[in-house]
Parts: sequence; structure tokens; C-alpha cells
Amino acid sequence: MAEVPMATPERVVLHNVSKSFGPTAALRGVTLTGRAGSIHALTGENGAGKSTLMKLLAGVHEPDDGEIHLRGKAVRLSTPAQARQAGVSTVFQELTVLPNLTVAENLNLGREPGRLGTLDRAAARRRAGEVLARTGVALDPDRLCGDLTVGEQQLLEIAKGLAAEADVFIFDEPTAPLNRAEVDQLEQLLVRLKTEGKLVFYISHRLEEIFRFCDTVTVLKDGRLVGTERIGALTPDRLVTLMVGRELQALFPERPGAAPGEVRLEVRELVATTGSPPVSITLRRGEIVGIAGLEGQGQRELVRALAGAGQPAGGTVRVTGDDGVVSPMDTRHGTVGAVRQGVALIPEDRKAEGLCLDLPIQDNIWLGPLRGLALWRRARRDPVVIRQLGERMKLRSRPVDAVGSLSGGNQQKVMFGRWLAAGVRVLLVEQPTRGVDVGAKAEIYTLLRQFTEDGGVVLAVSGDLPELIGLCDRILVLRGGAIVADVPGAGATEEGLLALALRDPSGVSA
Amino acid sequence: MTPARTGLTRYTVGLPLLIALLLALSAADFRQPQNLLNFGGQVAALLIASLGQMCVTLVAGIDLSVGAVMSLASGLLVLQSDPVLAVAMALAMGAAVGVVNGLGVAVAGVHPLVMTLSTATFLQGLCHMVLPMPGGQVPPPLVAAANGDAAGVPLSFVWCAAAVVALGALTTRTRFGLHLFAVGSQPRSAYLNGVRVRAVTVTAYVLCSVMASVAGIFLAARVATGDPNLGTSFPLETVAAVALGGVQLTGGVGSVAGVVAGTLSLGLLTNGLNVFGISPFLRGVLTGALLLAAVSVQRRRHVGL
Amino acid sequence: MTALSMRTSLPLLRLHQAATWALALPPAYLGVALLLAAAALTRPNLLSPMLLLLIMRQAAPLGLAAMGQSLVMRCRSLDLSAGGVVAMVSFLLTSGVLPLSAPLAIGAGLAIGAAVGAVNGWMIVRLRASSVIVTLSVSMILSGLVIAWSQFRSAGDAPELLRAFGLARVGGVPLPPILWLALLVPVGLFLKATAFGRSMDAVGANPRAAALSGLPHLRVLFLAHVASGLLSAAGGLLLLAFVGVGNVTLGNDLALNALAAAILGGINFGNGRGGMAGPAVAAFMLVFLFNFLTSLGLGEAGRLMLQGAIIGLAALAYALRHRGLNPT
Repeated sequence: MAEVPMATPERVVLHNVSKSFGPTAALRGVTLTGRAGSIHALTGENGAGKSTLMKLLAGVHEPDDGEIHLRGKAVRLSTPAQARQAGVSTVFQELTVLPNLTVAENLNLGREPGRLGTLDRAAARRRAGEVLARTGVALDPDRLCGDLTVGEQQLLEIAKGLAAEADVFIFDEPTAPLNRAEVDQLEQLLVRLKTEGKLVFYISHRLEEIFRFCDTVTVLKDGRLVGTERIGALTPDRLVTLMVGRELQALFPERPGAAPGEVRLEVRELVATTGSPPVSITLRRGEIVGIAGLEGQGQRELVRALAGAGQPAGGTVRVTGDDGVVSPMDTRHGTVGAVRQGVALIPEDRKAEGLCLDLPIQDNIWLGPLRGLALWRRARRDPVVIRQLGERMKLRSRPVDAVGSLSGGNQQKVMFGRWLAAGVRVLLVEQPTRGVDVGAKAEIYTLLRQFTEDGGVVLAVSGDLPELIGLCDRILVLRGGAIVADVPGAGATEEGLLALALRDPSGVSA
Repeated sequence: MTPARTGLTRYTVGLPLLIALLLALSAADFRQPQNLLNFGGQVAALLIASLGQMCVTLVAGIDLSVGAVMSLASGLLVLQSDPVLAVAMALAMGAAVGVVNGLGVAVAGVHPLVMTLSTATFLQGLCHMVLPMPGGQVPPPLVAAANGDAAGVPLSFVWCAAAVVALGALTTRTRFGLHLFAVGSQPRSAYLNGVRVRAVTVTAYVLCSVMASVAGIFLAARVATGDPNLGTSFPLETVAAVALGGVQLTGGVGSVAGVVAGTLSLGLLTNGLNVFGISPFLRGVLTGALLLAAVSVQRRRHVGL
Repeated sequence: MTALSMRTSLPLLRLHQAATWALALPPAYLGVALLLAAAALTRPNLLSPMLLLLIMRQAAPLGLAAMGQSLVMRCRSLDLSAGGVVAMVSFLLTSGVLPLSAPLAIGAGLAIGAAVGAVNGWMIVRLRASSVIVTLSVSMILSGLVIAWSQFRSAGDAPELLRAFGLARVGGVPLPPILWLALLVPVGLFLKATAFGRSMDAVGANPRAAALSGLPHLRVLFLAHVASGLLSAAGGLLLLAFVGVGNVTLGNDLALNALAAAILGGINFGNGRGGMAGPAVAAFMLVFLFNFLTSLGLGEAGRLMLQGAIIGLAALAYALRHRGLNPT
């Protein structure tokens, strides 16, 4: 894959860099060139090494081999502070806004104005005000950041990145918590950076964003460089092929022709949390039901209430067991009760809330069969069951490997395997393929479909509309905590769903 | 609504006022000038040491070696007849202990509890070696510096005021102070923003041990003699004072004003015990109960350690 | 993993593997080996079977407390209330406050330990107060009460039954370490084989994940604290049996030593890599060390210094070795 020569100068060259963490080689001999006045996408499956490569530039890690050149000179970036001084500004994937500091303090953090170690408050506020104005982010400099919404924090993060006197910018998945208006805002900022002659590295999984914002794309796979191309020369399918290394046939499994079976979960007038409107849902065996909607419209509260991890303020939920017995959801015992009755959650943030990263795969999976077991009962792992599950899910790792060393896709499979081993019938999934590469996505969709064909039902919240359209039998659209539409998956369109999501619950279109 | 960074609430400030009022109304002995003077002296050491503990608490740590540092400081004082040298030794010891604690916690990643308990044990042993029994003579200039008045103001008050002003300025007006709050809240985020987390943490522990050393110097000077058990009750009492003052043990929230209020609350209650003639052995019970009450009120999301 | 050249001899490779394995063990094993070697060189009489058995007897209370501490540490918590529990149990059994027969009094002592553990556990779980603060405060309260009450009632003798138990032997082996082992093995097996043990692993590794996966994580933590209180009381009863009379300072460094034993035994907050055997070996090691130092003429001061140094160095070594486990 030859690079197309351009007239503009090379601003960043990562030359033959390698990086390993213990036995895992995250990067192997990658060479990357970024040019001024370019928005350069960086993409690949999970575990491809995109974040690691940029973290070398951001000063978070140092390469084991190879060199980094900035503006033609070799540099050594050992700390984030050094990288910043060298003119590299990074907006990380994880939010680094400190909740107990004000907006102004966060914007100036690490570069506070003042003499001899004292703080010049007035100068800090002034500088903060300028940055906010310049980037079009409307926030009060004296507000404590713990009060901001996630979207506002991300915008602040971006403003902070832009405020640095840098000519190289790194954005790592910046749009994940943003709504559409905020994404448009980001686009304007990116365009302005480009016209000012800056170099922007843009790490993303989202193909539509890559094609919308960027002019160049570099694809990594398994820590190696696959190639660098101009966006104009590519199509989304071609890009996916580059990322996955093979032609991807159908991403989504076929929807079954049969109608859904008997009711598994009956939700009546559930008030997910104080102040939410009552919601009624019926989930039948064999269905995959999706929940669509803009950010923060009550999806999380609803799902968590059903999983026993919330505090519902009214309504009833009834669960039908395998034996056909209908019983009310045991709300007094939280998740313990829910899991016992066969209702389980796969959380959005699986590393923090789902998996025990230090424990091996087999221990993580075997937490499922503890379901309903009294504490003093025997609970030895069954290696046969675990092995069979691993094969079925195409988990290409040994059961004794620690889950923390797995890729996102495999980690998600382990979560899924836990509930398969537990024999639950109702699976509540938040963002089923967040942080999962394209290849594993297809496998997970297949597993979900098999789960429902075996008699289960899946309720999936997702911000990825194409995913919902491809995967689900029915899609519920949520706005303001209420269900404003219930449409069949087949035949749904992104524009249609979006229109419904923007529609006011009272029926008036936005 | 995120509570402000100071951790001050009506209760933090109201508690000492309430106790003072109750004591003043119900015990004539409390109102005696001599008692108030004694009270000032007793509370001064606790305040100075608690201000040090605050620094460490702000970065979500804890320092249980403050008691041993105080005792050892008193032991070092009586070894010298030259007051300057004695103070220098004691302060240097404090700084060294702080560096060890800080490096263990920030660089090696040992839990602060384990690290400071181990240094506390070591230092207590060292103290017993340096000063097996209470005794010795603190250099007279130091004794004079801790007792008596300066222009009508008790010197203990002067020491307190100096400590409060110094640490108040540090926490509110300096970059380091702001970084303390940042590190205590989310160390990783602070690091990614260019804050030197390790240096800030180590400095916090150094400050704590140095303040403990100062408190030990003051207390030893007040009684004019050294005592290997001088600081025994201080580790928990400083944590109690800090917790009662609204400083969150999880880090990132707190203020000097709060520590003053918390120290006053604790000191007033102890003074109340004396005034009412309740067994001094119940002081430990009281501190423990107060500490429990203080942490019960601090709502945390985290369960466990 | 370094690649060893093909020409390296096989015995050298085996040695390398053995050394790596040995260094990955909890510090206690290496420590015991070093100690025994040092004793063999300088104080060989310490290695006589009779003395070793006595040392094991002496180590039994610490072994029990260390067991409790391990359970609690694996749940990311800590129990520093052993000092107070022992003081209270010792006072109640020797001052004649409880007019009970010896077996009932012993039972009451154990019940008190469990009750203190339950109170600790309740405050930690319900009020979400820090374990450090709660258990230290409870210890202070209990010790303070005992000291205050001791002004009115002087300490008396320990129940005859208890003292007899402390001295009894079965086939030449003292009873207390037998009891210790008799508890150790079932507890270890229980943790490996039951839902409780699995849940505890998960609670230690990621409490939030354990909660969301339907595991009764709060109950596990609570029960761990009850168990720790119970074991502290049992250790205190043994201490009382050895000493024979009530004493307000009995067991005041038991919590600290139990923490040291747990850490040296490979237990850290949230993981139990050392199993149940590690802390047991560490308890023996610590008691052997104390005896060794005393035989070398080291006084209280030196003992404290060494104790502090050992805990600190063990914790440092452990932390440094395991720091690179999770990149980012």
C-alpha cells in the first residue's frame, strides 16, 4: 500500500515503532506519517493497536523500538506533560475531567497561570473564558465539573484539547457520549483545525464519521500496519475489508420466520426511577427487542430497573419461568433476585461492571451457575461445560487465561458465556458490541440469535442504529423515558428511527 | 448537586459551637480562664498534627505514623542541649519519614494503611531505643517558646495560627494545593492532564510527617520532657478530627477551616470529659465513638477498605 | 520470557525454572526457609522438635487471627479490631462479671467475637464506612471500656478448663495447633469448593461486577467480618489460656501481626493468591522470628523495629512485583 505523495510537509512520523506489554505485542514495526492540514483517521479492529500507537505520541507510553519524529526532528516523549510541551494535544477516550474542580480549573490544569507556584485566579478565569468562546462551548467557568452531563464533560475535554497551543491533535473515539448536535459542533471544530494547518489524528470505529470528517485513513490489524489510503479512494466496504482482512458477508444473522412464542417478561406501568413516565413492555420468547433513542432518554434507567440494579418507583414486572409459572419480580433482593428468576444484565462498561479482569475466563464464566445457589452449596467448575461454551462462542483462548488480557470481542463473549452457563432466559444487554471489532460483532449477533431460538429473549439497548435495524425483530424508541414507538426491525430505516426519536412524546415532531 | 470542595456543612461548623455552648452553660469549671488556657494548649498539638493529616487525606491516603513521629521527635529533642540542632533533627526525621511513606504509597503502590502502619511500628521501636523511659530535658528556649504569652496572646495560639495560615494559603492559593485536590479525586485523570501525581503525593506525606514532628516538638516543649508514648492516641485522633471536619477520606474534598472545626469538636468533648470528672480512660471510647459517628455521616458509594 | 540458547545445559534451565517458581511464592515460604537456615547456624537448639512444637503452640492464636484477616482482606476489607476483641473477651472471662460455667463462658467469648464482627460488618456494609476506621474505632472503644472497667474489677484467673486446654497434648503434639489445623483445612476446602468461595473471589476481584451479576456480595463481606471476629476471639481465648490471668494489654498487637501474616502469606486486598496455607506459614514464621530475636538478645525496641521493617519490606516487594499486571 504505497502512500500517495502530497505537497504538504510531514508533521509527524512514527517510524517502525513497536510496543509490548509483557508477553503481548501491541504494536509491531508500524510506520505512520501524518501531514499538516489533515484529518487522519486511525482505525482497525479492537486490539489492532490504534490507541496504543497514539498513546506513544501522547507520551503515555514509550516505544520499545523505533522512533518518533515531530516536525522533522526525533523526539522522546516520556510523559503526557512532555508531549503537551512538544505540541501534541490529546483528547483521550476516557474522560479526564475532574469532578471536584471547576470548569476553569480543569481547563488550566497542568498549566495554571501564576508566579512561583501560586495561582492567579483571575488570569485562569480569563483564559478559560477565551477558550470556551473560541471553541463555542457554552459553560460557566465557575461551575464544578461534577455537575456537568457526560456530553458537556466531553465537550469540555475537547475544548481543553483545542486550547493547548498544539499543532498535532489526537482524538480517541470522541463522539461516543455526544448527541447529534454536539457531533455537528465537533465537526465544525475539526474543519477549522484543518484549515489552520493542524494535524488531527482521529481514532474511531465509526465508519460514517471516518468518511464524513477525514481525508486519510490508516488501518491497523493485530499491531501491524495494513495500509494508509486517501478516503476519496475508498468505499466503506473496502475499508471494512482492510480492517477485517477478509470479505465480510452478512454481518447479521437471518431473522427467523416463526412468530415469537409465549410471554417471558411482562412489564406493566413500570416507573423506572422517580419522575419517569410509566412504561409497559411485553417480551416474548424468541424475540430480540431493541431500544433506540437519543442519549440519556431513560434507556439505562429502564434496563437497570428491570435487572434489579435500579430503584423503580412503581409498576409491576412479571417473569414467566421455564415451567410456565408466572411470578412477580423479586424487587427486594435487587440483582440477586432478578438473576435467580432468570433475568440478567450485560452492562455497557464490561470492564468496570461486568468482568473480574484478574480472574481467569473459567472463573468469570462460572459465576453464572452460582445463580440461585445458597452460599454453602458446592460450586465446582465443570471443565467440560466451560470447554464446550468456549468452542460454541469461538473463544480462541485457554480457560485459564485472565480475562483482562482478552480483546473487547472476546471479553464480551465471556460475559455472554456467563449467562449461558447460568441458564437465564431474559438477557438485558447494554451496547452489545461497544468496543468490539467487526469480526467479533458478527459472532456475537449470531450468539444472540441462537439464544433466542433456544427459548430466550433479548432486550438490547444500542446507540448504533444500523445494528438495531439489522439485529432486532422489534425496536422500541424511547424519549424522555417513555416509549414513543414500537416498530418492526425489518424495514426500519435510520432516518425513520431518528425521526421517531426526535418526536416529542406528546406527538409533536421536533 | 455536587457538594463544594470544602466539605463544610452546617453540621461541621455547628457541632463545635454547639458543644462549646453546652459546656459553657453546664459546667462552671469550663469557663475558668485556666481551663481555657489548658484547652488551647491541648488542642494546639492536635490541630497542627491534624492539618498534616489533612494533606494526606486530601490525596485519599491516611497516615497512621503521626503518633510515632511525634514520640520520636520528643525523644530527639531531649538528646540535644542546642535547641536549633534539636529542632533541625526532629524536622529532618519527619521529612525523611514522609519521603519513605510517600515513595512506598506513590511509587511502589503499597496501600497507605499498610505502609504507614509499618513505618509507625518501626519508628516506635526506634523511639523506645532512643528514649526507653519518659524523661530528659527539653532545651529551655524551646520550653519558653511553647509556654507563656507574647504580648498577651498565649503562644500556643500563635503556633496554631501560623499553621492554619500556612496550610490555608497552601491549599487555596497555590498550584500544589489545587493539585492535591486533583490527585485525590482521580489520580489517573490528573496524570493525563500533566499533574505530577507522584511528586504531589510524596510531598503530601512529607508535609504530614513534618507537621507531626512540629506537633511533637510543641507538645514536648510544653511539658518540658520527652515521652516515648507521647503520640499514642494521635493517629486516630487526627483522623477523627479530619473526618469530623468534613474532609472526605476518599480524597478530593476538604478544607483547613473544616479541620479547625473538627479539632475543636474533638478537643471540646475531651475537655468536657475532664471538666465533668469522667474517667480519662473513657477518652479512647469517646474518640472511637465520635470517629464512628463522623464516618457514618460521610456517605460513600464504595464499600470496604 | 528470555530465550535461553539451545546450548544452555538442562540442569541450569531446571534451576532457572525452580528459582522463578520459588520467587513467585508468597514471601513467607522463602522467609521460613531463610529463618530456619539462620537458626541452624546461630541457635541450633531452637530447631529441636520440642521447641518447634512449642513455637507452633505459641503461633496458634496468631494463626487463627491471620485466617480471619485473610478472609476479610480477600473481600477488599480489613479488620483491625482483634486487639479490642481479645481485651474484652479476656476481661469478661477473668473478672467474674459473667457468672457462667467455664464451657459456657468460652462459648460466650466466641459469641462476643462474632457479635463484634457482626457490628463491624454491619457498619461497613450498611453505612459504607471505611473498614480501617470502623475496626480501629471499635477496637479503641472496646479497649477503653476494658481499661475503665478494670479500675473497678481487678483481673482474675482464666477458667481452669481453658488453661488445661492450652497445656493439653495429644500424642505429644500440643492441642492448640491441632485445633488451628483442624480449622484451617476445612476452611480452605470450603472456600475452594463452595459458592461462598467463588463469590468471595469475585467480590475481591471486582465488587461492582459481583453485585451486578447477582452475587450476594454484601452478605459475603458481612460474613467475612463475622468470621474474622469469631477467629479473633478464638485466638484471644488461646492467648488467655497461655497467660493464665486477665491482662488489659493481651493481644494488642494481634491485629497488626495478623495483617503482617496475611501479607507475607501472599494475601492482598482483593485477591487470595496465597490460599489459606500462606498466612499459616507466615504466622509460624513470625512467631519463630520473635523467639529467634529474643534468643539473640533483642529487646522490645529491636523487635518492634524489625516487625515494622518486615511488614514494610514484604508489602513493598509484593507491590513492586505485581505492579505490571494490568497495563493502562
